Amino acid sequence: MSQAYDVPVRVMQARRFILSWVLTVTMMLVASVSHADDLVFGSFRSSQNANNWAQKLSHLFNQPLVVKPFVRDDVSWYRVQTENFSDTQVQAVARRADAAGIQHWRIYANASPASVVDSLVDKQTASSTAAVKPSSSVIRPGRGATPTPRLSPPSRVTPLPAEDAQDKAEYTKADQTPPRQPRQSDFDWQVGLQTRVFNQRGVQQQGRYEASVSLQFEYYTAWDDDRQSVTITPFLRKDSADSHRTQADFRELFYSRVGDNWDLHIGARRIFWGVTEFHHLIDVINQTDLVENIDTEDKLGQPMVHLSLIRDWGIVDVYALAGFRERTFPGPDGRLRLPLRIVQDSTYASAAEDKRIDMAIRWSHHMGPIEVGVHHFSGTSREPMFLPLLDTQGNLYLSPHYTVIDQTGIDAQAFVGEWVFKLEGFSRSGFGDRYAAVNLGVERTLVGVFGSRADLGLVAEYMYDERGEGAFNTLFENDIALGGRFAFNDFADTQALLGVIIDTRNDEYMMSLEASRRLGDNWFVSLEGRLFNGGESVSRASSTAQLLLDPDFKSSWLQRDDFFQLELTRFF
Amino acid sequence: MHSFFFSLTIRRHTGSGIRLLMPTATRPLLALILLVVGATQINHALANDEMLGRELFLEADKRNSGYVDFEVKLRMTLRTSRGATTTRDLRIRQLEVPADGDMIMVIFDTPASIRGTSLLSHSHKDSTDDQWLLLPALKRVKKIASRNKSGPFVGSEFSFEDLSAQEVDKYIYRYLEQQQFGGQACHVIERRPLDEYSGYTKEIYWLDETELRVQKVEYFDRRDRPVKVLTIFDYQLYQEKFWKPGRMHMQNLNTQKSTDLEWQDYRFAQGFTAQRDFSVASLRRAR
Repeated sequence: MSQAYDVPVRVMQARRFILSWVLTVTMMLVASVSHADDLVFGSFRSSQNANNWAQKLSHLFNQPLVVKPFVRDDVSWYRVQTENFSDTQVQAVARRADAAGIQHWRIYANASPASVVDSLVDKQTASSTAAVKPSSSVIRPGRGATPTPRLSPPSRVTPLPAEDAQDKAEYTKADQTPPRQPRQSDFDWQVGLQTRVFNQRGVQQQGRYEASVSLQFEYYTAWDDDRQSVTITPFLRKDSADSHRTQADFRELFYSRVGDNWDLHIGARRIFWGVTEFHHLIDVINQTDLVENIDTEDKLGQPMVHLSLIRDWGIVDVYALAGFRERTFPGPDGRLRLPLRIVQDSTYASAAEDKRIDMAIRWSHHMGPIEVGVHHFSGTSREPMFLPLLDTQGNLYLSPHYTVIDQTGIDAQAFVGEWVFKLEGFSRSGFGDRYAAVNLGVERTLVGVFGSRADLGLVAEYMYDERGEGAFNTLFENDIALGGRFAFNDFADTQALLGVIIDTRNDEYMMSLEASRRLGDNWFVSLEGRLFNGGESVSRASSTAQLLLDPDFKSSWLQRDDFFQLELTRFF
Repeated sequence: MHSFFFSLTIRRHTGSGIRLLMPTATRPLLALILLVVGATQINHALANDEMLGRELFLEADKRNSGYVDFEVKLRMTLRTSRGATTTRDLRIRQLEVPADGDMIMVIFDTPASIRGTSLLSHSHKDSTDDQWLLLPALKRVKKIASRNKSGPFVGSEFSFEDLSAQEVDKYIYRYLEQQQFGGQACHVIERRPLDEYSGYTKEIYWLDETELRVQKVEYFDRRDRPVKVLTIFDYQLYQEKFWKPGRMHMQNLNTQKSTDLEWQDYRFAQGFTAQRDFSVASLRRAR
């Protein structure tokens, strides 16, 4: 009995096995010889309109559509459609078109070309220049009509089962589209009047007052449908007291070309890297224009070839940096300067000196609440070391020396509820042993504080350099920064940022205030103040060596330089 | 900031909505059907009101879908309670992303002192929107915390939230009544944001019955008091399909300040792409 039972089961199993194989092989064969259905998105008399529409939809669907010419009643037509897509691709495109409400028709894989042509051309509109509206009797069934089942293809075009296909033909819009607005060339300029007031004379008896005027032009012109452009931004400043502060620079002077997923920029530009507010640790592409402001936020234009590749997995920026720019320093009569004279006879670690081509690469991406960037920079350091030298009269002076560094770093931000967490850090070789430095920050914004429409952003940041007090090229080796940013959200965009940076090891601290608002449409006023306190005064330093090397004297050269700066800018 | 205000499109939804092309006469019929469907539910009347409100928003959303992209000029006039005014001109570019929320680029042209500032927004269907601001002086791109959404947008009476993504699924709805407004028969629907960082407890919408265009919105603050009223005028049909507003007026009921928006020169089918025109890299060079 058991045998009698067993045999048919085995036979059945064998049959199933064979059948499944036959089915699989057949399916594979069918899949390899037949291609999937095509989707049609309208037909046009004008090939240009067809191409425009195809291009637009290709972007929208992220799949290449083609334009196929055909002739109907001795008239040429251009049909926008998919070609040789896989079933999955066709389904994806159909889904996206449905979601976007774009009308489309399906040509089943084995439909005869003639019937397709017939069904897509409407005789009544064939003489117009507008897109062909499909003959509704052929293409679109009435409401409630049963769509033809997907697996029994008819010999003609059958509509997708769209419940409420829009009556207005979507594709007519390509014909009505006005050309993309050509951008005019722009020319803007601004004049700034600035005055600085120090609370006492400088260590070298520099004056308490300083006035200066600055001028910035910006010219921009684009062509080739905005894909190519030139930007020129010269900057000039004339200062009453400090000859080194009188300067001219091209902040920007570059040509851009924009591709579909890449940008190429050639010329002098300004690139900012980083996320923290008080200390821009990883921002290494441009040289600091220190005479403009000691906050290191003013930069000299850096000549470069910059290629950005924009991909789904982030943006890759590649920089070839040519033409090193020396850091600017206040002159003998300037304020906020080191106690020793700096002579710009810079020396370089690189044999190519300032002709070295520096390279940098950065990948950045945003994933939901997280933003992250990873970079590597290999080239001449923007920060100099200072070599103490004697001039012919036997006076000591400092000569900048620019070493070659390799810096690998990261910047990241995470937005968690009301909090933003920030990180900047790098590992850098070139200044003696390889070392690491990091900035950690947290920010919280209180919206509508004190029942007003103002926002208050609270910022706390920690700056760490693993070399500790021996970190000779930074003021921030183990410091805490606290700040509050008021944004009044008024017509004039009134803002104020109050901050303090405290050295955790000694009593040094630095306070800063930056406030600004517009006055009417064309004027802008900003107020800036800095106080340096708690450090040893330079007059107490017993020797030059102590000034240069003793960490207690790191900010000593600034102790008499507390100041307020008022700047009025007029825009034209 | 986002599509809703910049285009007044209510956001797309992938699910299928009941088609409510409602001549006034058919609406009670539909309500009746919904009532029957919901009859087994305990709180059926409320459930029906919710469904009806939601379906209307879904339909309005659907009708604003499929525009692909456009650019429009916007003049913003801010007015104090004493009548002093200041204006800002901006351009807005918008791209439809079928699988997700829309992308928006806002570029300021005037006043000269904020020229060059631009803002990029990627809205998402089921997660927090991403927004970045370009600070032109530093060439710094800064991401904006979404917590700030209830704050004012460039000193106007519009908040970031008013101007930002209005995903149908991010709200719950309640159909209130039919009412005449501005000479049109309107659906009055209450909408409550699910987002805990919203500045509002609820908003009341007036949608005209013929085209489901937003005619008026009343905003209620966190203490459930009316704070702002938005009125929308001069709708025009573009591309034979999309109703776009010509003017909007936002009145603050507490301060008597107001903001007017004038929309000009809509241009559709500009050929924008996500990577070329709406990436963070494109924000750095937006003009």
